[in-house]
Amino acid sequence: MKDESRKMKAGYEKLGRLFTVVSIFLIAAACSPLRVAPQNEMVPADARQSLLRVTATRQGHFFNRPWQRQNPATQTAIGVIVPGGRVLINGLLVADHRYIELETLDTRHKAPAEVLVVDYEANLALLKPLDPDFLAGRKPLQLAGDVSVGDSLSVWQVKPNGDVVPSMGRVTSVELGVYFQDHLFLTYHISNSLPYRFNNVTLPVVKDHALAGLVLRQNPSGQAVEVIPTSVIRPFLEDAREGPYRGFPMAAFLYGPTLDPQLRRYIGLPEALTGIYVRKVIKGGPADRAGLRAGDTVLRVGDFALSNTGRFDHPQYGQISLVHLIRTHYHVGDEVPVQVFRDGEILNLNIVVGQRRPDEFLVSPYIVDQAPAHLIVGGLVLQELSMPYLREYGSDWLVNAPIHLLYYQQNQDYLDSDHREKIVIISSVVPTPYTIGYEYLSNLEVMQINGQPIRKLADVPRALASPDGGFHRFELRQHPKLIFLDPEELPLIHQIITQRYGIPIPPME
Amino acid sequence: MKGTRTGFIFWTCIIAVMIWVALPAGLSAGEGIDTLRRSVVRIYTVAQTPDYLVPWAPGRTEEKWGSGFIVAGHRILTNAHVVSNARLITLEKEGDARRYEARVHFIAHDCDLAMLVVLDDSFFEGTAALTLGPVPALDSTVTVLGYPIGGDRLSVTRGVVSRIDYRVYAHSGVDAHLVAQIDAAVNPGNSGGPVIQDNAVVGMAFQGFSGMVAQNVGYIIPTPVVERFLQDVADGQYDLYVDLGIQFFPLINATQRRALGLGPGDYGVMVGEVMRAGAAYGHLQTGDVLLSIDDHPIFSDGRVAMDNDRLLLNEVVERKFKGDTVYLKIARQGREMPVTLTLTTPWPYLMQARQYDVRPRFVVFGGLVFQPLSNAFYASLQNKTVLLRYYYSQFLTEELYMHHPEVVVLSRVLPDPTTSYLGGFVHAIVRQVNDTTIRTLEDLAEAFAQPADFYAVNMVGDYPPLVLEARAVQAARERIRRQYGITRDAYLQDSIVPPEWMDKVHDEG
Repeated sequence: MKDESRKMKAGYEKLGRLFTVVSIFLIAAACSPLRVAPQNEMVPADARQSLLRVTATRQGHFFNRPWQRQNPATQTAIGVIVPGGRVLINGLLVADHRYIELETLDTRHKAPAEVLVVDYEANLALLKPLDPDFLAGRKPLQLAGDVSVGDSLSVWQVKPNGDVVPSMGRVTSVELGVYFQDHLFLTYHISNSLPYRFNNVTLPVVKDHALAGLVLRQNPSGQAVEVIPTSVIRPFLEDAREGPYRGFPMAAFLYGPTLDPQLRRYIGLPEALTGIYVRKVIKGGPADRAGLRAGDTVLRVGDFALSNTGRFDHPQYGQISLVHLIRTHYHVGDEVPVQVFRDGEILNLNIVVGQRRPDEFLVSPYIVDQAPAHLIVGGLVLQELSMPYLREYGSDWLVNAPIHLLYYQQNQDYLDSDHREKIVIISSVVPTPYTIGYEYLSNLEVMQINGQPIRKLADVPRALASPDGGFHRFELRQHPKLIFLDPEELPLIHQIITQRYGIPIPPME
Repeated sequence: MKGTRTGFIFWTCIIAVMIWVALPAGLSAGEGIDTLRRSVVRIYTVAQTPDYLVPWAPGRTEEKWGSGFIVAGHRILTNAHVVSNARLITLEKEGDARRYEARVHFIAHDCDLAMLVVLDDSFFEGTAALTLGPVPALDSTVTVLGYPIGGDRLSVTRGVVSRIDYRVYAHSGVDAHLVAQIDAAVNPGNSGGPVIQDNAVVGMAFQGFSGMVAQNVGYIIPTPVVERFLQDVADGQYDLYVDLGIQFFPLINATQRRALGLGPGDYGVMVGEVMRAGAAYGHLQTGDVLLSIDDHPIFSDGRVAMDNDRLLLNEVVERKFKGDTVYLKIARQGREMPVTLTLTTPWPYLMQARQYDVRPRFVVFGGLVFQPLSNAFYASLQNKTVLLRYYYSQFLTEELYMHHPEVVVLSRVLPDPTTSYLGGFVHAIVRQVNDTTIRTLEDLAEAFAQPADFYAVNMVGDYPPLVLEARAVQAARERIRRQYGITRDAYLQDSIVPPEWMDKVHDEG
């Protein structure tokens, strides 16, 4: 199963790599070899009219101390002015932003901006200056036409003084790449190094004076640059223009190859048919609603036949993964016809592709632009388990985070019978004289409070409204399984926490 | 300030006096050294350790040296780890150049003790048997005899008893018993040697402190543990330690005490986790308060007054044997009631315990190698998936043994034309073969013995079925065995799952 297709799925994603991606940027910037850019390139005189330097100051939260914000961090990127008076930029640049500033490259004017639309999964954002006249007279870049392997593209680097320095590179391959966490979209790989990147998170990639993409990351060892292509940017801009933005669609099933002849004979798949084996259909997702089942073989999606590893013959790029087909050839709400082989017969199903917001997962894959929801009840810090919480265990979080919580993150679809919408945990205890003996409780799942099931954090205040025999009774999944608080002592405890630790007590609503 | 200093001087005087007073006891050991040296033996062992990555291979041999001492009845006591996995054991004694072959008479891996017999009884000519003494008092002087690294002759060191407490015995890695900590050097080779006070054995040197921080920390097995071992084997076989099968929670928190109906004071602990495979299951429940055990009142940290000390309540159980009863007084919902438990060994612990004197269990089918999860197998893996880590570490707390008394893992895929596409299944956990639920390795062997055209192995998690064609396996069997030097298709002895447990599982369907 090391086949790449196994890691990709036309569906909901699990593993997150926000910090990996960010750190790749930083490393890439630090390792850029100082090579002189090829000379025979032209930058149009008005290139500086189409670009802006974007400075974003971000401030996320500590998910293991949910009342506290991180140190503010400032990053810059080169944004592209697109038609409609908008600025296109990387999505992760503005994650948890507090302040965004635009700067013209020629006149060096600065002005604040806001985020109009952001898609962290596709790592794209559209900004809008607060001053509607700030972009007056600027020259938006149009989107470039098709790009093929072998084409030359120009990466526009920008020196601190605002000069635009082009460097050419050939497209060596077009394939799926990681955008954010395990969201995979198409990327161009161009052979190039970016000596004048100057820590800019992204840079425009240009073909024939039109925008061919944004730099996603630079591979420091291979001197290759990964580029977000127009085939991802175009649907993003289309969706952003047309009312409420709904993101890139998914079908929500996992698949594997049908290469193994023993497997093919077992499921009775004739030699002449090619397709992918459906390993799992996410319950309640688009594929599930359309009637796709684990054990089916998907032969065709839309107009395209699938190979035994899940690729289709793209007219422009050649053999490309089905993931690209579902995520970028369709919009949320579109009907995708699929042809399926099941029990010796061929069926036609229509999957209405959809989106699944991060808060619709048992363990939210990312929580951005909002403070971590939490409650402090008599010193017990109650939170919903999330990826950002697990990531607080450091770069080795997959090793260091508590294994029972990691298991939920990786196997969340197996909790269906459990009826939990979220895993509510006591993440830690703020020590007070009233919680002596409870100090070491951490990462315990709360199953019931006062006899009422806790399926999400919002259930907690309701359960606390009716104490059980004069006490709040917390039933936990892990040892010690049972602890109590005195409802009458809660105000005292909260007062101590506020006074001694300066930690605010979130209101119970 | 003044008072503190006075106090310090006072305590210095007391300590000095006590050491001085204690010295004669040490001297008496020294005076008897010519007698004592006739009781100490040097043990040479050739051990063979199986390779859990190549379970059919004989394994590597290693030599180890340790110490032992002679007790009544021409028996020799030593540590289990000195003679575990032994293929040859020889003994040497002071003043005799000959080497005598010995055999393991009884071995207890859960308390790191073993009893040896010597083939040639003339070995005991001129030797003296030692007798067991009491648990040494804190700060009293003890003499350690043995054959540690740094020379060939008998070594004598002396120290004081620093602490008496519970500690995990490193040999099994999961069993905690009473230990005495001394500040005499305990080095490799000391293991199994007697620790003497007043010409009697008060302990057996067995492990040091593994860490860079601590110094002068050696641990000895105190006599209650040794005596229990002698008593256990008196009937001709060693049964394992017994246990209540619960985890208790100290009742330090005032609110917790009130909610459980207890007054203030230093008594009572709460029952937290009750193990399904343990003695207390069905008798104790979460939230019960343990008040006394065999008439020893229980303090609120779970200790009881015994041997002029405060020892964990486990010590009461520690000194009992399989089938013995223990009498508890508990409070359930404020009502006091008696509970009598018949003690058992909660076998699922053994999955995480280091095992010795056993061969790795495995089944080879085609090019697939299956092994149950065990301490040694788990430790031999380089990369551990979250799923395996979960099944290993949560085996007890999540009661995973209910569905998987043995967690059967596809440990290896031997490259062969029949396994070309199966590499991705490595380290998956087997759930089912065709229609048979796989609970143990025996179930797996039986399922593969059933005639069928296809064997579809379903794994835990999101895997597609692993399909083997019966005729392909048959055709490949001899080839694979020859190519990889596989000497047998399976080893199904040495299971940790008690047969009566499997009877129960099968009865419950």
